[in-house]
Order: sequence, then C-alpha cells, then structure tokens
Amino acid sequence: MALLEAVRRRPSLSGMGNIRSSMADPSRNIDWLLVFAVAALSTIGAFAVYSTTRPRLLSRGVDPYYLLQRQIIYIIAAAVVMALVMAVDYEWLRGRAEFLYGASLVALMLVLVAGAVRGGARLSFDLGIVSLQPAEFTKFSLLLLLAGYLSEEENDELPYHRFIMTLVIVGSSVGLVLLQPDLGSATVLLACTMGLLLVAGSKVRYIVSITSLAILSATVAAWSGVVRSYQFRRFEAFLNQNSTEEALKDVVLQVRFAKRAVATGGITGKGFLNGPLTNGAFIPVQSTDFIFSAIAEQFGLIGAGVTLSLFTLLMWRIWRIGRLSRTRLGQFIALGAFSMILWQTFQNIGMTLGIMPVSGLPLPFISYGGSHMVAFAAIVGLVQSVHMRRLR
Amino acid sequence: MPATISGKRLGVLGGLALVLLGLVCTRTWFLQVVDAESLESRVAEVRSRTVSLLPERGRIFDTDGRVLADNERVLIATIDRSVVRKPAERAELFLRLSGALQTPVTELERRYQSKLYDPLQPLPLREGISEQTALFLRERSEDYPGVDVEEGWRREYPYAPIGAHVVGFMGAILERQLPYYKSLKYSPNERVGQYGVEQTYESVLRGKPGYVRYEVNALGQIIREIERVEPIPGNDVQLSIDLDYQQFVEQALETMLGLRRQVDAGTVKLENGDPDPQYPEVNFYKAPAGSALLMNYDTGEVIAMASYPNFDNRWFNAGISSTKFKQLFPDSKDPDQAIIVNRAVSGRYNLGSTFKPFTAFAALDSGQIADPLKYKYRDEGTYKLESIPNGRCQEGVKCVFKNAFCSATNTPCRYGPVTIEDALAVSSDTFFYKIGEQILTQRGYRPILEEEVRNFGFGAPTGIDLPFEYGGALPSKELKASLAEAGAIPKDEGRAYYVGDNVQFAIGQGLLAATPLQVGVSYSALANNGRVVTPHVANRILESGTPDGDAGFADLSKATVIEDRVRGKLIRNIEMPPEVHDPIVRGLTRVVNGPGVDWDFYHKATGEFLFKNYPKKSLPIAGKTGTAQGFKNLPWNDSSAFAAFSLDPTRPFTAVAYLEKSGYGSQAAAPVVKCVFSALAGVVDPQEVIPSNPLDINSTAVARSQRLVSPLCLSGYGGGVRD
Repeated sequence: MALLEAVRRRPSLSGMGNIRSSMADPSRNIDWLLVFAVAALSTIGAFAVYSTTRPRLLSRGVDPYYLLQRQIIYIIAAAVVMALVMAVDYEWLRGRAEFLYGASLVALMLVLVAGAVRGGARLSFDLGIVSLQPAEFTKFSLLLLLAGYLSEEENDELPYHRFIMTLVIVGSSVGLVLLQPDLGSATVLLACTMGLLLVAGSKVRYIVSITSLAILSATVAAWSGVVRSYQFRRFEAFLNQNSTEEALKDVVLQVRFAKRAVATGGITGKGFLNGPLTNGAFIPVQSTDFIFSAIAEQFGLIGAGVTLSLFTLLMWRIWRIGRLSRTRLGQFIALGAFSMILWQTFQNIGMTLGIMPVSGLPLPFISYGGSHMVAFAAIVGLVQSVHMRRLR
Repeated sequence: MPATISGKRLGVLGGLALVLLGLVCTRTWFLQVVDAESLESRVAEVRSRTVSLLPERGRIFDTDGRVLADNERVLIATIDRSVVRKPAERAELFLRLSGALQTPVTELERRYQSKLYDPLQPLPLREGISEQTALFLRERSEDYPGVDVEEGWRREYPYAPIGAHVVGFMGAILERQLPYYKSLKYSPNERVGQYGVEQTYESVLRGKPGYVRYEVNALGQIIREIERVEPIPGNDVQLSIDLDYQQFVEQALETMLGLRRQVDAGTVKLENGDPDPQYPEVNFYKAPAGSALLMNYDTGEVIAMASYPNFDNRWFNAGISSTKFKQLFPDSKDPDQAIIVNRAVSGRYNLGSTFKPFTAFAALDSGQIADPLKYKYRDEGTYKLESIPNGRCQEGVKCVFKNAFCSATNTPCRYGPVTIEDALAVSSDTFFYKIGEQILTQRGYRPILEEEVRNFGFGAPTGIDLPFEYGGALPSKELKASLAEAGAIPKDEGRAYYVGDNVQFAIGQGLLAATPLQVGVSYSALANNGRVVTPHVANRILESGTPDGDAGFADLSKATVIEDRVRGKLIRNIEMPPEVHDPIVRGLTRVVNGPGVDWDFYHKATGEFLFKNYPKKSLPIAGKTGTAQGFKNLPWNDSSAFAAFSLDPTRPFTAVAYLEKSGYGSQAAAPVVKCVFSALAGVVDPQEVIPSNPLDINSTAVARSQRLVSPLCLSGYGGGVRD
C-alpha cells in the first residue's frame, strides 16, 4: 500500500503536479545532486580502498576483498544514517544538541582512559568488529550545537559574550581531542567554528584573536609535551620536505612517495591496480590518509580532476543550501558543515601534495573507515534535512 | 527572527573555498603534468631490487687434470640494509642473530660498517651457514625481518697446502683495490683472486655475473621477478704443474731445510785461531726458508715450484677471526719469517757461484777469452787487481781477492793453471775475478758483463704468470746511484762504478740480485742453445664446465681448449756457437761428474762427491753450485744455491734450489736438485698425491709439514769448500 501511495504522489508527466502533494513536502525537496556527489565519491572511494589494501592483504595471505567488504558495509551504514537524519526535523535535533554534545564530551573523556592505543594515540573505542572514533561524532554534535547557539543571536553582529561562550564550547571538545592527541580533528572543529563565527558576524578582531590563540596553544602544547613529539615532527617535516634527518625520515619519505605517486600518474594514470607506488604498499596509511595519491596515480589527472570536481559539486550544493535556507539555523548548519568539509578535504589532499603538514585526517567519503564515513553522512544528512524543510 | 545572513558573508566563505580548492587543483596539475617526468625515473629504482647472481668460478687443474681449485655451493645469510638502518633496531636484531649465526655481534656490526660491502646489495652476514641454520632463519622470517639466505660459491682447495704458492687464494677486495675492481663492474662483496694463479687469471676464472631484478614493495617483499640474466661461469685453467712432482719438490725442500737446522755451521775464529768470543761456539744453520723449482727448458712450463715456509690456502676462506689469522700469519719485519712470499719468483738473492756460467759466457762471447781451449789462468789462491796502482792499495782500497779456504791447508785453495772448464768445475773465484776486472778495464770500462748477462733475463722480470715477481738487479753505475739515493749504500760509494764492483759481480756477489726463477730461465737458455723462453704455470685456458673424471680429477679429454699456451713466448735467441756453448756445458757437467783438478792435491769438482750415487747414465745432467755470502760473511749466514739441467734433449728439465742460511751450495741446495733429477731419472718414485684431510680450524700450524718418505736421495757428502 505504501508503495502505491508513493507512486500516486509522483508528479504526473503532464506537468500539472499532484494536487494532493504540497510543494513543501520534505521528501520532494531532496537535493539529488548532493546525494549524487556523495554516492559518486563513495564509489570512487571503494575502488581506491580496494586498490590500496589489496597488496597488503595479499602479502599476508588474506582475502584481498576483505577490507573492501568492510568499506561497503560502512557505506551502507552511512547511507542508513544519512536517511535517518534526513527524515528527522533539524529543529527537533537542535533541541537535543546540548545533550548530544555532552554525550560527545563524555565519550571523548572515556576514550582518553579506555581507548585503544594505536600509533601512540588513543583515538577510538575498540568494539571488536568496529572501532568508534568519538572525535568524528563530535564534529556532528558541535556543528549542531554551535549553529543552534549562534543562530539564536538576533543581532547581525556577534556580541562579545556569545563569542566567549563559543570559545568555551569549542575549547572543551578541542582540548579533549588535542589530548588524544588528534591535531587534525581539532583543526576541523576549529575550522567549523571559524566558519560559523564568520557568518555570525563576528568582528574581525575576534577571529584574529582566536586564530592567534589557537597558534599559541598549539605551540604551548608542543613545548609542554601534551602534543606528542611526532605531531611536532610532522610539522617540522612539512617545513623541510627534503630533510635527510633520521627523525623526520618516515614522514618525509611518506610525503615524498605520495607526491611521486601523484606525479607519476600523469594525465591518464597508470591504470587500475597498476600503480607501482600505491599498489606496492610503499606509502603507510595509504588507504586512509593518503588515498588521494592512489587515485591520482592510477587514474591520473583525469581521475583526480573528477574527484576534485565532485568535491566542488558537494560543497557548492551545501553552500547553495545555506544560501537558499530561510532560517538562520538552517543557514548556520549548512555553512558550518561547508567549512568543516572544505577544511578537511583541503587538509587531506593538501598533505598528499605536500602543501600542508601531515595530520591523520581521512578524506571525506573516500578514505577507508567507518567513523568518518558515518559522521560525514550524518552531517550531509543534516544539511539535506535543512534543504528538505526550507519551504515550510 | 533576524534577517538571513548577508550575501557578502556567504561570498567570503565561498570565495575562501574556491581559493583552497583552486590551490589543490593547481598543485595536482603541477605535479602530474609539469613535474611528472623528473619524478618518474626515481620511482623505477625505488620499486625494484637487483640481486646479482655470481657465476661459478673457473676451476684450476694440474697438468694431469687434478682439481687444485674447486667450488662448493654454500649458503650465505644476508640482511636487507634498510631494515637495520636504525642503530637501536640493528643492535637488537644483531644480538638475536649472533646466536643463530654463531658470529659475535661485533663482527656483524663490523660488516655493517665496512665499506667493503656493496651498499646496494643485501649485506652478507655469514658465509657457509648450515642447512639447519638456513631452515631456522627461513622459518622465522617474522622474527628476523630482512634476513635472507642466498646461495653462493665457496672456493675449495682439495690438495692444500700442496702448491699453495702457485695456486694462490682468494680474498675480499681490499679498500685500495676497490676503485680498480669497481671500474671492472665488480660488486664490492665479491671475493677476488689475491695471490697466485687465482690472482693472475682472475679475469679468466671469474666469469660474468648475472643478475635478477625483482619488483618489491616498501616492506622489501618481493612481488615478482622482472628480469633475469643468468651468470656465465668462468673458464677453467690447466696448469703446467704436475702435482706429484710439486709435492715431491716441496717435501725435498722442507726435509732438507729441517736437516740443515741440525748442522753446526762452524765456529768463527780470530786471527790467532781462538774462537771469537762475540759469537757462540756452536751455531746451527737457521735454514728458515727456501725455494725450489723444476721446469721444462724447451717450453718454459713450470712443473713444480716450491717455496718454504708454505701455507695452507684454505685458511683464507675458513672464516677464522683476525686474531687467529695474525697468529697463523704473524706480522714480522724479519724477511726470514715471511710466509706469503713465493721465494722462487719474489726472492731477492745473491746468486754466488751459480752465476759464474754467465760470466764465462760473457768472457767467451765478447772475445775476452779468445780461445777457450788454450786460455789458462794460474790460480794461486789470491788475485790482486792489476788496474789499481799499489799506492792506492796501500791507502786501503781493496785490491786483493781470495779463493775460498781449503780445509786441508786452511789457506785459500790453489788450483794451479785452470781452463774455463776447470774453473767452473772447481768454482775458482780468482779465475772469474780476473775476468771481472779485465772485461771492464781492457774494454774501455763499458758495461759489457751487464749487457751480456742481461740477455739471459737477469735484471728484468721473466714475465711468469704469477704475481709479485721481482725483476732483479744488475750492478751498474745507475743501480749504485739509485741505491745511494735510496740510502741503501753510502753516498760516496754510490758515486761511481768501480773495478771492485765488477769483480764481485763476476762471481755473483755484490749488488747482483736475482730470483731463483731467473736462474731457472737462464740455465734453461744455456741448456737449449740460447733460447730464452717465458716461464709459465698455466698451460691451457679451457672452456668452462670441464667434466669430472676419476675422483679428484677433471676429464681433460673432454675439455675444450680456448687458448693453448704450453709453449712459452720466446723472449730472445742468444747466439751460442759450439765454441762458446760447449766449454761452459762441459764445465758444468764436470761439476756433477768430475773430475776436478789436481794441484797440490786433488781438488774435487764441487758436486762430484755428492752426485756419486746419482744415476748419471739414466739422466745425465750439468749444474753449478753456489754459496751466497750473507750478513757479515758469517758462516751460518751462507745461503745455498744449485741449478742444473738435463743433457738429454728428450727430457728437457731445469731444476733450481735456493736454501737460505743453510750452508754451501753442495750441502743444501744441490741435494734437493739431486732428488728431483733422481726422480726424473726414475730411481726415486715421487709419492702419489692424495686429497688432503679437511682443514683443522684449531690447528696452530700454517701448513701441515711435508717430509720425504725416503730422504735417501738427499744423502751424499757436500763439498768442504765454499763453492
């Protein structure tokens, strides 16, 4: 019956429309281009993940499709989460933002004591089959909370107390994320905040002061050892990309191989599974942090161009949703999401190309992994939710 | 509800996005299009690893096909250098490996630091590991990352130490040799011939290495084979050495030296006949070293070449510690102790009277003695130089030269009127002193003696195919000047070439220096009517893969000859008419057969008594004894020399022996040569060679001792006169 109902609701080919269906019906206002961009990026990601995990799995004598299968499960899970978030009214979600953010903070605290240690950092809960990274979900809850909080301000210019309050909200989660330590995720949270402060009409000097504060605290963190020295080394390696220093070697080589992989791809690429560098397991964390080099090597400038175009499409659609939204909350959600995805994408591809320091950020929708996939799906779902209900 | 966000702010955010995305796009384009080519080539070397495949080295056979140098497949534990680049990880891994490989950590670390191994190739940690160790390492590849087991070759010398000085040995490329071998595309890991035939025929024996190129991933794991070029094995070398004779000559030499060490050299007496108190009364000969060789005088083939002290050439690939090595091969400044010196080709010796035949030749050839049958010199035991005025002699210039003392009279022997034949038979010094003076003073002080004997190969390397050959030195004005320059002789003595120098030269003393091999070549030239032939130890270069024959032998009948060098290169043909040749050969024959001369009493020819029991009818020979005076002319410093050749042209053999600090020529060297010719004559059977027992790593002897089974052929009485 439900199916029949759905069929009846479809606009007729005559162009008259179904009079029983309102133009404001959320399900009629899905941004299909945005859905397409996400789906296309995930598909490219699945191929890239397979190509980069296969040699490692083969050398261990494991089924080469093992990690691809998991990635597909993550994509399906992400799709389900996105659909769920889309189905829920974002205003209703805004009402639960404080609770969600609080839960995120608790999770961030718990992961510091109970998280699984990997590469010297406690980033995730190991739940056997899956591991959860609370920092990823913090992105969603912070976006929701900050967008809600800042959009409440009726004044077009952000007052001082709200600016300070914003810093307190962000500071709590950024501080915890830095303790993990996960410098990359912290910058994404900050990027979201900066974007929101900008659109909220924050004074330039506020933004300048928060930026200098961030730099200052990063420096202090580095010196005091809160941020482990390897985070610091990544920055050093970024400044000396041709360094032959022993301590920097791993990072320098990692980036050098990634750059070479991109460069040798040329215009048409080496072909799928034929990239000597990315398919030869030369680059550590190839399937997550350095996945873009795999695309560029195997599919060349064309593949990289398509991927970048899809990201541009994704961001354009989100930006457009922000512009079209008639509510301040909707606008803030869209533009906060926009800032976050923009920064994370730029940061990830930038480090592959050697124009940003290395930080362990996955490329949205493309890199291997469940947490970021689900988190970004939720964020995009939230933006869709805004769009779907814009005519209300 | 306030107004929605201004378009300006949206524009700023959008613009920011465009800038960042633009940056990324530009950078991607730049890398992929502009930078692409320069990075492409570097990637290729990163993802492949080349492992060189060493060829099987050519084998070395003796003249009958006995395998003197063989190869054995061995397993080598190696490590990928990139795995142990970090000192802490290296220390940890080496510590664990040292037990498995039974090698101290310090040795592993030394190899890692050493520049002698190819930095682009896996580092060899230990050669010759057992099958079990290899299996152990392969099974635990996770515990020993980067450790691999490769196959290689190990050189074996089944008959060591026999012929070690000739066959030689292999060793790692030394640091100073590295540029040379690199220019020949050697890997620094390779072992090369460092001595003997192994060294001279390195280019023939080595073959051509191949390689296999693998595609590897970053973990160093091999993904697939890209390219394989099989190595080309080295060519085999067949020597002229007959190992049975080689062993026999070595045994005779070592036995004789051992016997001489038990002989008292005599007491040094003062003018009044009392023993000189500065020396002990009893002085045994030291007989520390010596050499002997047997060659074919027609072809220049060296049939046996012995040098004592000998060594076991298996020590060089036994993997012993440097301490153990130093113990076996001590660093010594004393030339008597030097082990890795083939004295037959590298010894710098005075020849003593064995040189006299060439002075005789110079006198006859230059016309200094016009008619050898008529020329006689009355030997009164002393010779006073005619060209030096009496006044100068009284000023202290040495003018009077004496013969050796006859024990019967305790005065210089007097031989009366002697012909050139007589002079050679009894080894009259004064006869040759006179020639030495007159050939200089009566012919305008031209270096006639030097020029004449140079034709026989003295003063220049013979060109034998063995390393470290000494070319010898002939006394001349130039030699004296250069020796004075080097500080070997006093400055004012180096100013001119005096008559006295030529007189000493004429009896093979003074500044003359030659090798036993040069003696062999020059006597060969006397034997074969003046043909000076390049001596050699390699007879044939054979195509690789000569099949095995009987146990320990290669089947030479199935060998393919690439290069035949049995007949040595003719260096010179000295014109030797019978009137020049015959008196000399007759004189040398009388040395062995007698008679001597009868003056005052019967003076035996120098070898007459010794060779009494030699089968002269079976294999007639001619030879010459010699005693080279040593340091301070002390009796125990006399070195003994003897050279002889067969008079039967169908058995064209020359034999030479030189025993350092062992006494008169007829006492030590001549018995060795006598044994050799007795064997050639068929009255003594050289023992058949059998493969050696495996090398005992714990042994402290540098080579097992070799003694004649029956030393009877050495027996006989050497002369009582310094010959």
